[in-house]
Amino acid sequence: MIRNYIKIAWRNLMKNKGFSFINIIGLSIGVAACILISIYILHESSYDKNVSNSENIYRITGQYIDEGRVESGIHFSANTATTILADFKEVENTGRLMSNGLFYGAGSNEIRFDGTDDTQYYEEGFTYADPSMIDIMGIEMVYGNIKTALTEPKTIVISEKVAQKYFKNQNPIGRIMYLNGDNNDPFKINGVMKDFATNSHLDFDFLITLKDVEFGKGEQTRWTQNNYFTYVVLRAGTDVAAFEQKMSNTIIEKYLKPSYKSSGFAGWEKLHERLKMRLQPLTAINLHSSHIAYESSFRNDIKIIWIFGIVALFILIIASINFVNLSTAKSANRAKEVGLRKVVGSTRTQLIGQFLAESILIAIIAFILGTVLSVILMPLFRTMSGTDLVMPWSSIGFLPILVLAALVVGTSAGLYPSFYLSNFKPINVLKGKLSSGSKSSGLRSGLVVFQFTISIILIVGTLVINQQMDFILNSKIGFEKDQVVQIYSTNILNDRVETFKEELKKLPGISNVSISDYLPIEGTKRNGNSFTNEGKENTEEGVGGQAWVIDKDYIETMGMKLVDGRNFISGRISDEKAVIINQTMAKELRLDAPVGKRISRYGQLWEVIGVVEDFNFNTMKQTVQPLCFFRGISPTITSVKMNTADVSAVLASMESKWDEFVPNMAFRYEFMDASFAKMYGNVSQIKAIFTTFAILAILVACLGLLALSAYMVEQRNKEMSIRKVLGASVQTIFKLLTKNFIALIVVALVVAIPIAYYLMRTWLQDYEYRIEMSWSVFAVAGVIATAIAFITVSYHAIKLALINPAKVLRSE
Amino acid sequence: MVNTILKLSQATREVNSGSNKIALLDSINMEVKEGEFISLMGPSGSGKSTLLNCIGMLDNFTDGGYTFLGEPVHSMKERNRSKLYKEYIGFVFQAYHLIDELNVWENIETPLLYKNIKSSERKALVADMLDRFNIVGKKDLFPAQLSGGQQQLVGIARALIGKPKLILADEPTGNLNSKQSTEIMELFLELNKQGVTIIQATHSETNASYGSRIINLLDGKIVSE
Repeated sequence: MIRNYIKIAWRNLMKNKGFSFINIIGLSIGVAACILISIYILHESSYDKNVSNSENIYRITGQYIDEGRVESGIHFSANTATTILADFKEVENTGRLMSNGLFYGAGSNEIRFDGTDDTQYYEEGFTYADPSMIDIMGIEMVYGNIKTALTEPKTIVISEKVAQKYFKNQNPIGRIMYLNGDNNDPFKINGVMKDFATNSHLDFDFLITLKDVEFGKGEQTRWTQNNYFTYVVLRAGTDVAAFEQKMSNTIIEKYLKPSYKSSGFAGWEKLHERLKMRLQPLTAINLHSSHIAYESSFRNDIKIIWIFGIVALFILIIASINFVNLSTAKSANRAKEVGLRKVVGSTRTQLIGQFLAESILIAIIAFILGTVLSVILMPLFRTMSGTDLVMPWSSIGFLPILVLAALVVGTSAGLYPSFYLSNFKPINVLKGKLSSGSKSSGLRSGLVVFQFTISIILIVGTLVINQQMDFILNSKIGFEKDQVVQIYSTNILNDRVETFKEELKKLPGISNVSISDYLPIEGTKRNGNSFTNEGKENTEEGVGGQAWVIDKDYIETMGMKLVDGRNFISGRISDEKAVIINQTMAKELRLDAPVGKRISRYGQLWEVIGVVEDFNFNTMKQTVQPLCFFRGISPTITSVKMNTADVSAVLASMESKWDEFVPNMAFRYEFMDASFAKMYGNVSQIKAIFTTFAILAILVACLGLLALSAYMVEQRNKEMSIRKVLGASVQTIFKLLTKNFIALIVVALVVAIPIAYYLMRTWLQDYEYRIEMSWSVFAVAGVIATAIAFITVSYHAIKLALINPAKVLRSE
Repeated sequence: MVNTILKLSQATREVNSGSNKIALLDSINMEVKEGEFISLMGPSGSGKSTLLNCIGMLDNFTDGGYTFLGEPVHSMKERNRSKLYKEYIGFVFQAYHLIDELNVWENIETPLLYKNIKSSERKALVADMLDRFNIVGKKDLFPAQLSGGQQQLVGIARALIGKPKLILADEPTGNLNSKQSTEIMELFLELNKQGVTIIQATHSETNASYGSRIINLLDGKIVSE
């Protein structure tokens, strides 16, 4: 019986090649989209789940509540971890990471190994780590003792990747490594760890031990210097919510308040209202940290995961709807078969079985093709998503889930057509009395409206996301990122860095040069300081803000604008006690005429000599924070503003100048607009993925519309021929044929626009700087959808309108 | 003693046409004995096809009694009715009504599929039938590749494969030329001799003469036997 079903199904597929093609291709595209996005979602939600004991590991986060605004951070003082371990019996272990590039050794370094020449290699991914982190994160060792790898001072564990790069197939244990050319400060390689998995929230390549490390005197016991990521392992069975509360209260009341009080911070009494310490489950870090400021690396957003999942599902649903529409529309062709089978003894159940077998067969073929398609598209998708994804052939569930999904999709798409088709009365079929599927045309219209509603929402989404992206990348950001080159590692020049700068200035094509590690690009140096007005240190709550060290050329090189006062002047002694603040700082300090006023940073007084126009230095998801420029040298990055079109010539001359100064190290640079774009790289990726899948969804919906219009044209062949004989013009016939479809699209527009408006407004809320959605977006989406539908339908309509009626009527 | 296959008493079939009720069949009384070969005659619209369809349980009488092999069809549920005709009735149509997607072999095999007969047995039965009708060479062809007469042979073979007690043939030669017609009617006669009860509807006096009994219908009533 089943074999018979399959045989019939196959012959029907072959008989209606066009329809089968649309069914199968549409479904395959949907399946491929679903597979790719599922793999992406699974990967993103699998983060840190394979760390043993992951369910008991937490990262401490802080919620900072400021006049109703809540900001989240993950940096805590050095002694937070040790105190929590000592004070709470619920805690089994704690560990810290310190990857803040502000401190020597963390972030990125120029490295050199003993026994090699003087060549320095640039590497990123350095963090200081407690020895306990190896145990907590379940880090596995390739070489070295897992228990003691970081227990001695000045030891370092490197990743397998780095070991392979520098010590191909050799055991590097015991080798000495120097950072940034400092030969007096050797680090001993004491372990090689397996690389962090692609689904680990950590991606460091160098772990420097925190054993006996102190960044400044008293740093390890001071509660006011927050630089450490702190991880906590709770004993199994601990009531997490209760412990979180207790931990937060104890740390704040017992340690932070007394410490803030003695440091003279105003408002310390109310600290418990302004700070809540929280425990974030290890496995939640990847998808639930997008609100956290200064994360160690990029974190995805659970919202995006949801959006992608829904889009993928929609594509599959649109494809399934095609199947339902085409099957019921073509029902007349099957009616005779149904009638005859009933006459020769088939029951309705058996017929339903037969039709379900057919749709399941189609689904299985589509799933096979879809899987093949997803394998083909995987490399593309990997690039697009920026994630190292693989087809999970080896995971036990993959193939069974695919088969199961094919059965589910085949059954659910085939259910309605089966019931519909198997319902024909043989007597009617044999008498030739058959309303050719008109009964279900209401349902078909409804489904077409649904498909196009989704398509229009996706078009609007794509347009708005693209507009917002362009807005971010091109809008006035308060500085000029074009034609600026950042030269890295200039700190290697030590006190010659300013000579280097002056030499660069003399090169043709260069208009200005500035030395500063603090750039309006995420990932460059940041810090946190507290500022008050003069004399109000103990009565006013401090304004949290950045303290950036710049030179006198900075403002001009970056194309920033002074709105009041003046710039630093070289050689002027009094400028050593002067600062330039941004507009937000002036506002937060309630200074109406800031120039000439003095402000206090931890008791030291600084005279405000200028006010710089606000510029963005975090992503545009955040507002501009208070900021203060100090004059000085922070020598790692030198920025060069060019004023020529011949960029490569300038780069070449800068490189040869670099080689004069530092012969044994590569010249490393990046264009500022490129690093700016990198800041939003993730948004660009999301934009690309979203656009692609939106186009796919529309394509699949159009495939269905194309087939449906073909069918309709077939149906009304005779009617239109008679009309033509009676004198109808080509235009009238064309209008008659397309009118209904266009009406459906208009209904879809009416349904889609409010939904799209609501969804996109919600998405834009995330951005502090955002576009206003204008009616034109919806107009464009409407025009696009209508035009696509119109063109699709026209193909068959024109064919029919131009037909020779004699031919049709003769063959009737 | 000869068994009664079916019996109609005051069997009526009405349809609604607007607000009027039209009787397609009006108080039909008839009895069919096993082994009979009945020809239903009458002009178009006299109710021949309707009567055949109702007897074949594709359609229902709206009033009156219908017993088939002693079972009251008029009070039966759809499921049991379908069981009954699946078991005992075979249909032959004017337009052959073969399934276009199936080849000759498969068309003949189809009724057996719905009777849950094992594959090996099916093969034997279909092969027998092909042999008997001399169409072995055509078994892989599709209906569109056959002549009308050949298609009707397949149609009859399909009707016979389930070993029915009663064959209902609605204008079985209506689309055939006279030579083919004769062949088909000879075949019916042959089958009738082998004990199959046949009811055919026909316009043709010649064809009707093959039957053992002729029933004339006019406007849904039996006018003469």
